Amino acid sequence: RMSQLYLLFESASGYALFERLESEEIGQTLPEVQASVQDLSKFGRTIKLKAFIPFKSAAHALENINDVTEGIVNDHLKEFLELNLPAVKPGKKPKYQLGVSEPKLGGAITEATGFPCASNDLTEELLRGIRLHFDKFIKQFKPGDLEKAQLGLGHSYSRAKIKFNVNRSDNMII
Amino acid sequence: GRPGMKGGSKVVVEPHRHEGVFIARGKEDALLTRNLVPGESVYGEKRISVEDNGQKVEYRVWNPFRSKLAAAILGGVDKIYIAPGMKVLYLGAASGTSVSHVADIVGPEGLVYAVEFSPRSGRDLINMAKKRTNVIPIVEDARRPEKYRMLVGMVDVVFADVAQPDQARIVAINAHHFLKNQGHFVISIKANCIDSTVDAAVVFAKEIEKLKVEQLKPQEQLTLEPYERDHAVVIGTYRPPPKTPKKTA
Repeated sequence: RMSQLYLLFESASGYALFERLESEEIGQTLPEVQASVQDLSKFGRTIKLKAFIPFKSAAHALENINDVTEGIVNDHLKEFLELNLPAVKPGKKPKYQLGVSEPKLGGAITEATGFPCASNDLTEELLRGIRLHFDKFIKQFKPGDLEKAQLGLGHSYSRAKIKFNVNRSDNMII
Repeated sequence: GRPGMKGGSKVVVEPHRHEGVFIARGKEDALLTRNLVPGESVYGEKRISVEDNGQKVEYRVWNPFRSKLAAAILGGVDKIYIAPGMKVLYLGAASGTSVSHVADIVGPEGLVYAVEFSPRSGRDLINMAKKRTNVIPIVEDARRPEKYRMLVGMVDVVFADVAQPDQARIVAINAHHFLKNQGHFVISIKANCIDSTVDAAVVFAKEIEKLKVEQLKPQEQLTLEPYERDHAVVIGTYRPPPKTPKKTA
Protein backbone atom coordinates (compact mmCIF):
# COMPACT_ATOMS: atom_id res chain seq x y z
CA ARG A 1 0.00 0.00 0.00
CA MET A 2 1.47 3.34 -0.97
CA SER A 3 1.48 6.04 1.68
CA GLN A 4 -1.17 8.71 1.55
CA LEU A 5 -0.04 11.83 -0.30
CA TYR A 6 -1.58 15.29 -0.43
CA LEU A 7 -0.33 18.15 -2.57
CA LEU A 8 -0.46 21.89 -2.00
CA PHE A 9 -0.77 23.98 -5.16
CA GLU A 10 -0.47 27.75 -4.84
CA SER A 11 -2.15 29.61 -7.71
CA ALA A 12 -2.83 33.26 -8.52
CA SER A 13 -6.51 32.62 -7.69
CA GLY A 14 -6.05 30.84 -4.38
CA TYR A 15 -4.74 27.74 -2.60
CA ALA A 16 -5.70 24.25 -3.64
CA LEU A 17 -5.19 20.94 -1.90
CA PHE A 18 -5.08 17.73 -3.92
CA GLU A 19 -5.07 14.12 -2.87
CA ARG A 20 -3.37 11.30 -4.74
CA LEU A 21 -5.59 8.26 -5.03
CA GLU A 22 -4.25 4.79 -5.35
CA SER A 23 -4.19 3.66 -8.92
CA GLU A 24 -2.80 0.39 -10.14
CA GLU A 25 -3.33 1.45 -13.71
CA ILE A 26 -1.06 4.46 -13.43
CA GLY A 27 1.44 3.14 -10.95
CA GLN A 28 3.82 5.24 -8.93
CA THR A 29 7.26 5.08 -10.48
CA LEU A 30 8.49 8.33 -11.95
CA PRO A 31 8.29 7.28 -15.63
CA GLU A 32 4.75 5.94 -15.06
CA VAL A 33 3.70 9.19 -13.40
CA GLN A 34 5.36 11.25 -16.15
CA ALA A 35 3.43 9.35 -18.78
CA SER A 36 0.11 9.79 -16.97
CA VAL A 37 0.48 13.53 -16.40
CA GLN A 38 -0.16 14.54 -20.00
CA ASP A 39 -3.62 13.05 -20.30
CA LEU A 40 -6.26 14.59 -18.02
CA SER A 41 -8.54 11.55 -18.26
CA LYS A 42 -5.69 9.46 -16.80
CA PHE A 43 -4.31 12.07 -14.44
CA GLY A 44 -7.78 12.89 -13.07
CA ARG A 45 -8.11 9.27 -11.97
CA THR A 46 -5.04 9.50 -9.78
CA ILE A 47 -5.30 13.10 -8.54
CA LYS A 48 -8.44 14.51 -6.90
CA LEU A 49 -9.15 18.06 -5.77
CA LYS A 50 -9.80 18.04 -2.03
CA ALA A 51 -10.27 21.75 -1.34
CA PHE A 52 -9.83 25.16 -2.91
CA ILE A 53 -9.93 28.53 -1.20
CA PRO A 54 -9.90 31.63 -3.42
CA PHE A 55 -8.16 34.83 -2.39
CA LYS A 56 -10.62 37.48 -1.20
CA SER A 57 -9.21 40.39 -3.18
CA ALA A 58 -6.27 41.55 -5.27
CA ALA A 59 -4.60 42.89 -2.13
CA HIS A 60 -5.15 39.55 -0.38
CA ALA A 61 -3.57 37.71 -3.33
CA LEU A 62 -0.54 40.01 -3.22
CA GLU A 63 -0.14 39.51 0.52
CA ASN A 64 -0.23 35.75 0.02
CA ILE A 65 2.25 35.57 -2.87
CA ASN A 66 4.65 37.71 -0.86
CA ASP A 67 4.38 35.36 2.13
CA VAL A 68 4.55 32.14 0.10
CA THR A 69 7.62 33.22 -1.84
CA GLU A 70 9.35 34.16 1.40
CA GLY A 71 8.51 30.76 2.87
CA ILE A 72 6.12 32.25 5.44
CA VAL A 73 2.99 30.33 6.52
CA ASN A 74 0.41 33.03 7.20
CA ASP A 75 -2.89 32.49 9.04
CA HIS A 76 -4.87 32.11 5.81
CA LEU A 77 -2.71 29.21 4.58
CA LYS A 78 -2.47 27.68 8.07
CA GLU A 79 -6.26 27.66 8.52
CA PHE A 80 -6.79 26.21 5.05
CA LEU A 81 -4.42 23.32 5.75
CA GLU A 82 -5.75 22.65 9.24
CA LEU A 83 -9.31 22.59 7.96
CA ASN A 84 -8.59 20.10 5.19
CA LEU A 85 -5.79 17.79 6.31
CA PRO A 86 -6.20 14.97 8.85
CA ALA A 87 -5.17 16.18 12.29
CA VAL A 88 -1.79 15.06 13.57
CA LYS A 89 -2.15 13.42 16.98
CA PRO A 90 0.57 14.35 19.46
CA GLY A 91 3.17 11.63 19.81
CA LYS A 92 1.91 9.72 16.78
CA LYS A 93 3.63 9.54 13.41
CA PRO A 94 1.27 10.78 10.69
CA LYS A 95 0.39 8.26 7.99
CA TYR A 96 0.54 10.79 5.17
CA GLN A 97 2.73 13.45 3.61
CA LEU A 98 1.98 16.85 2.16
CA GLY A 99 3.82 17.50 -1.09
CA VAL A 100 4.88 21.14 -1.51
CA SER A 101 6.79 22.68 -4.38
CA GLU A 102 9.36 24.48 -2.28
CA PRO A 103 11.18 22.89 0.70
CA LYS A 104 11.55 26.13 2.67
CA LEU A 105 7.78 26.58 2.75
CA GLY A 106 7.45 22.87 3.60
CA GLY A 107 9.69 23.30 6.62
CA ALA A 108 7.69 26.31 7.77
CA ILE A 109 4.40 24.38 7.39
CA THR A 110 5.74 21.49 9.47
CA GLU A 111 6.90 23.92 12.11
CA ALA A 112 3.59 25.78 12.24
CA THR A 113 1.19 22.82 11.99
CA GLY A 114 3.07 19.56 12.51
CA PHE A 115 2.04 18.33 9.05
CA PRO A 116 4.86 16.29 7.52
CA CYS A 117 5.94 17.86 4.20
CA ALA A 118 7.87 16.50 1.25
CA SER A 119 9.48 18.02 -1.84
CA ASN A 120 10.96 15.42 -4.18
CA ASP A 121 10.95 14.21 -7.80
CA LEU A 122 7.53 12.59 -7.42
CA THR A 123 5.83 15.63 -5.84
CA GLU A 124 7.48 17.87 -8.46
CA GLU A 125 6.14 15.71 -11.26
CA LEU A 126 2.64 15.60 -9.80
CA LEU A 127 2.66 19.37 -9.31
CA ARG A 128 3.65 19.75 -12.99
CA GLY A 129 0.56 17.74 -13.84
CA ILE A 130 -1.61 19.88 -11.58
CA ARG A 131 -0.20 23.05 -13.14
CA LEU A 132 -1.01 21.66 -16.58
CA HIS A 133 -4.65 20.84 -15.78
CA PHE A 134 -5.34 23.19 -12.88
CA ASP A 135 -8.21 25.20 -14.36
CA LYS A 136 -10.04 21.97 -15.28
CA PHE A 137 -10.02 20.88 -11.64
CA ILE A 138 -11.65 24.04 -10.28
CA LYS A 139 -15.35 23.97 -11.13
CA GLN A 140 -16.02 27.66 -10.49
CA PHE A 141 -13.40 28.74 -13.07
CA LYS A 142 -14.64 30.01 -16.41
CA PRO A 143 -12.19 29.83 -19.34
CA GLY A 144 -9.62 32.60 -18.94
CA ASP A 145 -10.30 33.22 -15.23
CA LEU A 146 -6.95 31.83 -14.09
CA GLU A 147 -5.00 33.83 -16.68
CA LYS A 148 -6.86 36.98 -15.58
CA ALA A 149 -5.81 36.32 -11.99
CA GLN A 150 -2.20 35.73 -13.11
CA LEU A 151 -2.29 38.97 -15.10
CA GLY A 152 -3.63 41.06 -12.20
CA LEU A 153 -1.25 39.53 -9.68
CA GLY A 154 1.69 39.73 -12.11
CA HIS A 155 1.15 43.47 -12.42
CA SER A 156 0.72 44.12 -8.70
CA TYR A 157 3.66 41.86 -7.71
CA SER A 158 5.92 43.50 -10.29
CA ARG A 159 4.79 47.03 -9.43
CA ALA A 160 5.68 46.35 -5.81
CA LYS A 161 9.10 45.04 -6.89
CA ILE A 162 9.98 48.26 -8.65
CA LYS A 163 8.48 50.29 -5.80
CA PHE A 164 5.94 51.95 -7.99
CA ASN A 165 3.29 53.97 -6.29
CA VAL A 166 0.26 51.85 -7.09
CA ASN A 167 -1.96 54.88 -7.57
CA ARG A 168 0.38 57.06 -9.58
CA SER A 169 2.46 55.24 -12.13
CA ASP A 170 4.62 58.30 -12.83
CA ASN A 171 5.69 58.62 -9.22
CA MET A 172 8.64 56.34 -8.62
CA ILE A 173 9.85 56.01 -5.05
CA ILE A 174 13.51 55.13 -4.79
CA GLY B 1 -0.46 58.60 -33.52
CA ARG B 2 2.47 58.96 -35.87
CA PRO B 3 2.02 58.28 -39.55
CA GLY B 4 2.89 54.87 -40.94
CA MET B 5 5.51 54.02 -43.52
CA LYS B 6 5.25 56.29 -46.54
CA GLY B 7 3.60 55.00 -49.66
CA GLY B 8 1.49 52.47 -47.78
CA SER B 9 -0.49 51.60 -50.87
CA LYS B 10 2.66 50.44 -52.69
CA VAL B 11 3.70 48.11 -49.92
CA VAL B 12 2.54 44.53 -50.15
CA VAL B 13 2.42 42.47 -46.98
CA GLU B 14 2.89 38.72 -47.23
CA PRO B 15 2.66 36.07 -44.55
CA HIS B 16 6.05 34.65 -43.57
CA ARG B 17 6.72 30.92 -43.49
CA HIS B 18 6.47 31.25 -39.67
CA GLU B 19 2.81 31.71 -38.79
CA GLY B 20 2.10 35.10 -37.17
CA VAL B 21 5.13 36.73 -38.83
CA PHE B 22 4.85 38.88 -41.99
CA ILE B 23 7.09 40.50 -44.60
CA ALA B 24 6.61 43.87 -46.27
CA ARG B 25 7.60 43.82 -49.92
CA GLY B 26 8.51 47.29 -51.12
CA LYS B 27 11.61 49.28 -51.89
CA GLU B 28 13.18 47.51 -48.95
CA ASP B 29 11.79 44.35 -47.45
CA ALA B 30 10.98 44.43 -43.76
CA LEU B 31 10.00 41.88 -41.16
CA LEU B 32 6.64 42.61 -39.50
CA THR B 33 4.23 41.47 -36.85
CA ARG B 34 0.54 42.32 -36.86
CA ASN B 35 -0.01 45.11 -34.33
CA LEU B 36 -2.13 43.86 -31.44
CA VAL B 37 -2.84 47.47 -30.46
CA PRO B 38 -3.43 49.32 -33.76
CA GLY B 39 -2.54 53.00 -33.80
CA GLU B 40 0.37 52.71 -31.39
CA SER B 41 4.08 52.04 -31.54
CA VAL B 42 5.86 50.55 -28.54
CA TYR B 43 9.40 51.92 -28.95
CA GLY B 44 9.15 54.29 -31.90
CA GLU B 45 9.13 51.55 -34.54
CA LYS B 46 7.46 52.21 -37.89
CA ARG B 47 3.96 50.99 -38.62
CA ILE B 48 2.48 49.89 -41.93
CA SER B 49 -1.21 49.88 -42.67
CA VAL B 50 -2.65 47.88 -45.56
CA GLU B 51 -6.14 47.20 -46.84
CA ASP B 52 -7.25 43.62 -46.63
CA ASN B 53 -10.73 42.97 -48.11
CA GLY B 54 -11.74 46.53 -47.26
CA GLN B 55 -10.40 46.17 -43.72
CA LYS B 56 -7.41 48.13 -42.49
CA VAL B 57 -4.74 45.93 -40.93
CA GLU B 58 -1.77 47.44 -39.15
CA TYR B 59 1.70 45.91 -38.82
CA ARG B 60 4.82 46.95 -36.90
CA VAL B 61 8.33 46.76 -38.35
CA TRP B 62 10.50 44.30 -36.45
CA ASN B 63 14.17 45.24 -36.34
CA PRO B 64 16.59 42.25 -36.40
CA PHE B 65 19.32 44.40 -34.86
CA ARG B 66 17.12 44.87 -31.79
CA SER B 67 15.60 41.42 -31.45
CA LYS B 68 17.44 38.09 -31.40
CA LEU B 69 14.29 36.28 -32.46
CA ALA B 70 13.87 38.54 -35.50
CA ALA B 71 17.56 37.98 -36.32
CA ALA B 72 17.05 34.21 -36.11
CA ILE B 73 14.04 34.40 -38.43
CA LEU B 74 15.91 36.46 -41.02
CA GLY B 75 18.84 34.08 -40.61
CA GLY B 76 16.53 31.36 -41.89
CA VAL B 77 15.87 29.32 -38.77
CA ASP B 78 13.76 26.24 -39.51
CA LYS B 79 11.22 26.46 -36.65
CA ILE B 80 10.55 29.07 -33.95
CA TYR B 81 7.58 27.29 -32.31
CA ILE B 82 6.25 30.68 -31.23
CA ALA B 83 2.95 30.91 -33.11
CA PRO B 84 -0.65 32.15 -32.70
CA GLY B 85 -2.30 30.75 -29.55
CA MET B 86 0.97 29.60 -27.93
CA LYS B 87 1.92 30.25 -24.33
CA VAL B 88 5.48 31.51 -23.98
CA LEU B 89 7.72 31.99 -20.95
CA TYR B 90 10.11 34.77 -21.95
CA LEU B 91 13.22 35.02 -19.76
CA GLY B 92 15.23 38.23 -20.02
CA ALA B 93 12.35 40.40 -21.19
CA ALA B 94 14.28 43.69 -20.75
CA SER B 95 12.08 46.69 -21.57
CA GLY B 96 9.70 44.53 -23.54
CA THR B 97 10.40 45.69 -27.09
CA SER B 98 11.03 42.19 -28.43
CA VAL B 99 8.36 40.79 -26.07
CA SER B 100 5.81 43.09 -27.73
CA HIS B 101 6.45 41.38 -31.08
CA VAL B 102 6.15 37.95 -29.48
CA ALA B 103 2.82 39.15 -28.04
CA ASP B 104 1.74 40.19 -31.55
CA ILE B 105 2.64 36.73 -32.88
CA VAL B 106 0.85 34.67 -30.21
CA GLY B 107 -2.12 37.04 -30.49
CA PRO B 108 -5.14 37.39 -28.19
CA GLU B 109 -5.48 33.62 -27.74
CA GLY B 110 -1.86 33.26 -26.65
CA LEU B 111 0.01 34.45 -23.58
CA VAL B 112 3.51 35.70 -22.77
CA TYR B 113 4.90 35.43 -19.25
CA ALA B 114 7.69 38.01 -19.38
CA VAL B 115 10.39 37.79 -16.69
CA GLU B 116 12.86 40.63 -16.12
CA PHE B 117 14.91 41.23 -12.98
CA SER B 118 16.07 44.81 -13.53
CA PRO B 119 13.58 47.26 -11.97
CA ARG B 120 14.58 49.95 -14.48
CA SER B 121 13.69 47.77 -17.48
CA GLY B 122 10.82 46.25 -15.53
CA ARG B 123 9.10 49.59 -15.38
CA ASP B 124 9.00 49.87 -19.19
CA LEU B 125 7.93 46.24 -19.40
CA ILE B 126 4.96 46.87 -17.08
CA ASN B 127 3.93 49.93 -19.09
CA MET B 128 4.07 47.97 -22.36
CA ALA B 129 2.00 45.20 -20.77
CA LYS B 130 -0.73 47.65 -19.73
CA LYS B 131 -1.85 47.84 -23.36
CA ARG B 132 -0.93 44.29 -24.36
CA THR B 133 -3.03 42.26 -21.98
CA ASN B 134 -1.64 38.97 -23.26
CA VAL B 135 1.66 39.89 -21.56
CA ILE B 136 2.02 39.08 -17.87
CA PRO B 137 4.94 41.13 -16.51
CA ILE B 138 7.06 39.47 -13.83
CA VAL B 139 9.80 41.56 -12.23
CA GLU B 140 11.77 38.79 -10.59
CA ASP B 141 15.01 36.81 -10.85
CA ALA B 142 14.81 34.11 -13.56
CA ARG B 143 17.18 32.04 -11.39
CA ARG B 144 14.39 31.65 -8.85
CA PRO B 145 11.32 30.30 -10.66
CA GLU B 146 9.82 29.27 -7.31
CA LYS B 147 9.37 33.00 -6.66
CA TYR B 148 6.93 33.33 -9.55
CA ARG B 149 5.33 29.89 -9.46
CA MET B 150 1.99 31.45 -8.49
CA LEU B 151 2.01 33.63 -11.62
CA VAL B 152 2.86 31.16 -14.36
CA GLY B 153 0.99 28.26 -15.96
CA MET B 154 2.45 25.48 -18.10
CA VAL B 155 3.83 26.87 -21.35
CA ASP B 156 4.48 25.61 -24.89
CA VAL B 157 7.77 27.47 -25.36
CA VAL B 158 10.54 28.88 -23.17
CA PHE B 159 12.45 31.72 -24.84
CA ALA B 160 15.62 32.91 -23.12
CA ASP B 161 17.83 35.90 -23.73
CA VAL B 162 19.37 36.32 -20.29
CA ALA B 163 23.06 36.69 -21.23
CA GLN B 164 24.27 35.05 -18.02
CA PRO B 165 27.11 32.55 -17.53
CA ASP B 166 24.71 30.04 -15.95
CA GLN B 167 22.12 30.45 -18.70
CA ALA B 168 21.73 26.71 -19.39
CA ARG B 169 20.88 26.08 -15.75
CA ILE B 170 18.43 29.01 -15.70
CA VAL B 171 16.59 27.61 -18.70
CA ALA B 172 16.62 24.10 -17.21
CA ILE B 173 15.08 25.02 -13.85
CA ASN B 174 12.39 27.06 -15.59
CA ALA B 175 11.65 24.18 -17.95
CA HIS B 176 11.35 21.75 -15.02
CA HIS B 177 8.76 24.04 -13.44
CA PHE B 178 6.77 25.33 -16.39
CA LEU B 179 7.54 23.74 -19.77
CA LYS B 180 5.19 21.06 -21.07
CA ASN B 181 6.59 17.67 -21.96
CA GLN B 182 7.63 17.91 -25.61
CA GLY B 183 7.47 21.69 -25.37
CA HIS B 184 10.20 23.73 -27.02
CA PHE B 185 12.99 26.08 -26.06
CA VAL B 186 14.58 28.90 -28.00
CA ILE B 187 17.76 30.26 -26.42
CA SER B 188 20.03 33.07 -27.48
CA ILE B 189 23.59 32.42 -26.33
CA LYS B 190 26.15 35.21 -26.15
CA ALA B 191 29.53 33.50 -26.16
CA ASN B 192 31.59 36.08 -24.29
CA CYS B 193 28.99 36.24 -21.50
CA ILE B 194 29.74 32.63 -20.70
CA ASP B 195 33.47 32.38 -21.35
CA SER B 196 35.48 35.07 -23.13
CA THR B 197 38.73 33.08 -23.06
CA VAL B 198 37.80 30.43 -25.63
CA ASP B 199 36.41 30.38 -29.14
CA ALA B 200 32.68 31.05 -29.49
CA ALA B 201 32.11 27.69 -31.18
CA VAL B 202 33.61 25.92 -28.15
CA VAL B 203 31.29 27.83 -25.82
CA PHE B 204 28.22 26.91 -27.90
CA ALA B 205 29.20 23.22 -27.93
CA LYS B 206 29.64 23.23 -24.14
CA GLU B 207 26.28 24.90 -23.60
CA ILE B 208 24.60 22.31 -25.78
CA GLU B 209 26.10 19.54 -23.63
CA LYS B 210 24.72 21.23 -20.49
CA LEU B 211 21.24 21.41 -22.05
CA LYS B 212 21.23 17.74 -23.05
CA VAL B 213 21.84 16.66 -19.45
CA GLU B 214 18.64 18.51 -18.47
CA GLN B 215 16.43 16.74 -21.03
CA LEU B 216 16.59 19.82 -23.26
CA LYS B 217 17.38 18.23 -26.61
CA PRO B 218 18.87 20.72 -29.09
CA GLN B 219 17.69 20.35 -32.68
CA GLU B 220 18.94 23.45 -34.39
CA GLN B 221 21.75 25.94 -33.94
CA LEU B 222 22.14 29.14 -35.89
CA THR B 223 24.58 32.02 -35.70
CA LEU B 224 23.01 35.48 -35.51
CA GLU B 225 25.55 37.11 -37.87
CA PRO B 226 25.34 39.72 -39.29
CA TYR B 227 22.91 41.09 -36.71
CA GLU B 228 24.81 40.07 -33.57
CA ARG B 229 28.46 39.11 -33.08
CA ASP B 230 29.35 35.79 -31.42
CA HIS B 231 25.74 34.96 -30.75
CA ALA B 232 23.96 31.74 -31.52
CA VAL B 233 20.38 30.71 -31.13
CA VAL B 234 19.71 27.14 -30.05
CA ILE B 235 16.29 25.59 -30.51
CA GLY B 236 15.07 22.22 -29.34
CA THR B 237 12.58 20.00 -27.53
CA TYR B 238 12.14 19.39 -23.80
CA ARG B 239 11.66 15.78 -22.76
CA PRO B 240 11.40 14.49 -26.33
CA PRO B 241 9.32 11.31 -26.66
CA PRO B 242 11.43 8.17 -26.24
CA LYS B 243 12.53 6.68 -29.53
CA THR B 244 10.42 3.64 -30.29
CA PRO B 245 12.70 0.74 -31.04
CA LYS B 246 12.44 -0.60 -34.57
CA LYS B 247 10.21 -3.61 -34.75
CA THR B 248 11.92 -6.72 -35.93
CA ALA B 249 9.55 -8.78 -38.01
